Amino acid sequence: MDEKCTQLWQKLSAALKPHVSADTFKRWFSAVELAAVTPKALSFRVPNNIYQYWIESNHMAALEAAVLTALGEPRQIEFISSESPINDSEPAATSKQTHSVNDAKPATSSFGLNPRNTFESFVIGPNNEIAHAAALAVAQSPARTYNPLFIYGGVGLGKTHLMQAIGQYVIAKKKNTKVIYLSSELFINEFIDAIQHNNLVKFRKRYRQADLLCIDDIQFLGGKERSQEEFFHTFNTLFDGHKQIVLSCDRPASEIANLEHRLVSRFEWGLTAELQPPAIETRLAILRKKARGMQIKLPDQIFEFLANRIRSNVRRLEGALMRVASFASLSGKALTQEVIEHLLKDILQEEARTSITIEQIQRKVAEHFDVRLADMTSKRRPASIAFPRQVAMYLARELTKSSLNEIGDAFGGRDHGTVLHACKLVKRRMKEQDSIRQTISFIDSSLQR
Amino acid sequence: MKFSVTKEKLLEGLQQVQNVVSTRTTLPILSNVLLQANEGVVHLTTTDLDVGVRGSFEAEVEKEGATTLPARRLFNIVRELPASEIQIDVDGKNAASIRSGQSFFKILGLPEEEFPPLPKFEEAKVVTIRQKDLRDGLRKSSYAISTDETRYVLNGLLFSFKDNKLTLVATDGRRLAMVDIELEIPRSQETDIIVPTKAVTELQRLLTDEGDVKVSVSSGQIAFDLNKTLLVSKLIEGNYPNYKQVIPGEAKERVTLERETFLNSVRRVSLLASEKSNSIKLNFSKNNIDITANTPEVGEAKESLPVQYKGRDFSIAFNPEFLMAPLRALTEDEVFLDLIDEMSPGVLKIQTPFLYVLMPMRISS
Repeated sequence: MDEKCTQLWQKLSAALKPHVSADTFKRWFSAVELAAVTPKALSFRVPNNIYQYWIESNHMAALEAAVLTALGEPRQIEFISSESPINDSEPAATSKQTHSVNDAKPATSSFGLNPRNTFESFVIGPNNEIAHAAALAVAQSPARTYNPLFIYGGVGLGKTHLMQAIGQYVIAKKKNTKVIYLSSELFINEFIDAIQHNNLVKFRKRYRQADLLCIDDIQFLGGKERSQEEFFHTFNTLFDGHKQIVLSCDRPASEIANLEHRLVSRFEWGLTAELQPPAIETRLAILRKKARGMQIKLPDQIFEFLANRIRSNVRRLEGALMRVASFASLSGKALTQEVIEHLLKDILQEEARTSITIEQIQRKVAEHFDVRLADMTSKRRPASIAFPRQVAMYLARELTKSSLNEIGDAFGGRDHGTVLHACKLVKRRMKEQDSIRQTISFIDSSLQR
Repeated sequence: MKFSVTKEKLLEGLQQVQNVVSTRTTLPILSNVLLQANEGVVHLTTTDLDVGVRGSFEAEVEKEGATTLPARRLFNIVRELPASEIQIDVDGKNAASIRSGQSFFKILGLPEEEFPPLPKFEEAKVVTIRQKDLRDGLRKSSYAISTDETRYVLNGLLFSFKDNKLTLVATDGRRLAMVDIELEIPRSQETDIIVPTKAVTELQRLLTDEGDVKVSVSSGQIAFDLNKTLLVSKLIEGNYPNYKQVIPGEAKERVTLERETFLNSVRRVSLLASEKSNSIKLNFSKNNIDITANTPEVGEAKESLPVQYKGRDFSIAFNPEFLMAPLRALTEDEVFLDLIDEMSPGVLKIQTPFLYVLMPMRISS
């Protein structure tokens, strides 16, 4: 245990003591050592596995709270048992099981899981931490916590990444778990194929014996009635058998067109986690992580430029990074802002197109509060109109790059002070009233979509 | 092979072995029961490769031989047969004709050679226990076995043969049950083993109140010989965690409770424990315990229990299921509950060597 760990552990101990009784602390935590610290995880060394079992079962909340107090942010907590490490993943294997373990390796690739999509390579930010935490919880104890887990979010925000990470985590932990990962389109195709060749039984057997079923892009089930019915029964069988189901979609379950109600209600049964577009800091972190993964070095301004200009989608962000990196290594030219702008002009144009205009905001807000669009710019100011107008100004300030003056002009030639007042007022009321905050975040997210 | 037997005897024999047969299996032979007819007796054997059971029943054997038949199907047929005399005749192709009164069934089996033999026990450590003692011990401990498959060493019951006693331990990380059975164990036979849940469940069904059970342990497996029946199981590999660490130090308060009264109160109050927090609170005050539960937006329950108690007033919360499990399994009239404070584990004890450690739940104020 080096100096840094010792100090941190002392800090943690101090934070932990108020959460547990003195006896508990002496019995369980006095023998614990902090073995390693990484930006993401803390590893604790425990004398033997009973410490791990008991702390995990009973004192995790206290330990997590202590980590939060001491470090100001949550970390993953791992345990290392200093007793002879017994093989934790493989229960007394019969010769048969050993055989299946041996061929588990090649099988992994046939699950359709991309080995790069793991929890380690997932960049966590405020936009996706709930989804990430839920996914991790599911991976750690399938079918215990959240079943089904329904992940939704726009294109390229990490739905597939999280699902595959769950699959790989589960396989890595317990080799003979049956994990099935596929897109709903493949599910439908296989179903049609099974009907044609009249081997539905085999088809059902394949899916209903899974321990973990991950279906990507479930929205494509919409409008396919027979497939929905088949999936409905598969879902029920797995759910009743306490098997984990993970689904991803590009919109909330209730918004999938032509999806039967019984399926919608089932999808909403477990935990629904939303992935939102990453904030600037997260985008920067993603770029840095990717660059490290690809072993390329770029100046900070370039990272910032890319993160600033490409907002909507992680996949596009990676594509842009790749393009810049290959340009740099192929041409050997210095990377200036102009060069990059030229290089990425199609992507940047596309981004600019998806950016939100003040007019869109006005329309959306007017629609939501049921006032006329003309009221947004009119001089009238009863409360029923003034407040929606202020909300619209606030959103315009938050979501567009327009200056206070520009926003004021767009709202019927108002003074920049009026706009500033509106922003402050809305911010204050959001803090005071949950309902207002919810309304505004609803409008916000429907604008982003 | 040909034999006749009464319906009761055959049914009883099948009942003993048929639970081991797994419903979902990749090897068809494992859903079959092995029948071996010898002079005056028919042996039945089933196995899922992890656990195997061998039983027998007396029968009038006309022609000796052996075969395997689908266990569930055979059991279902025998159960429904109208007459009490049953005759089973198996031809050279393992097709069994079952005759009883007016009924006739023909079911197809598989050859005896395909059936995996039960393991042999040579150079085993052998200990003999009274069946009643072992049955008692299993009942008092087995409910605390973990079902969390990720902690597979906890998916079984620890049998620790040491210091002239057999200690049985089960824990799932939130509670721990431990029973001692006095026993003479020579030094050379001492050992620690983990018996998987399935074998424990089956063993509980087979044990009776009379006679002894001979336990043989050899590398990686265990056999329980109950004279007429034999149960063989693989052991869970690995080291059982050091459970002694869990047992708390000296208690501050001890209350004596009437087991049934306490159990009934807890059960009634637990009806209003919310599914989410799933806890009930024990509020101690002078000579009284208030057992309470409440669920926001549903309601609350409270029951008072007069007890001998002179300690300080305090409250402690437990998961009601975990609290009731040992109370149901015990048969003693009186139980002792030892407590330290609201954040330290509670310990349930009785007059004989038994211990149940239960972690309290966090009380949200």
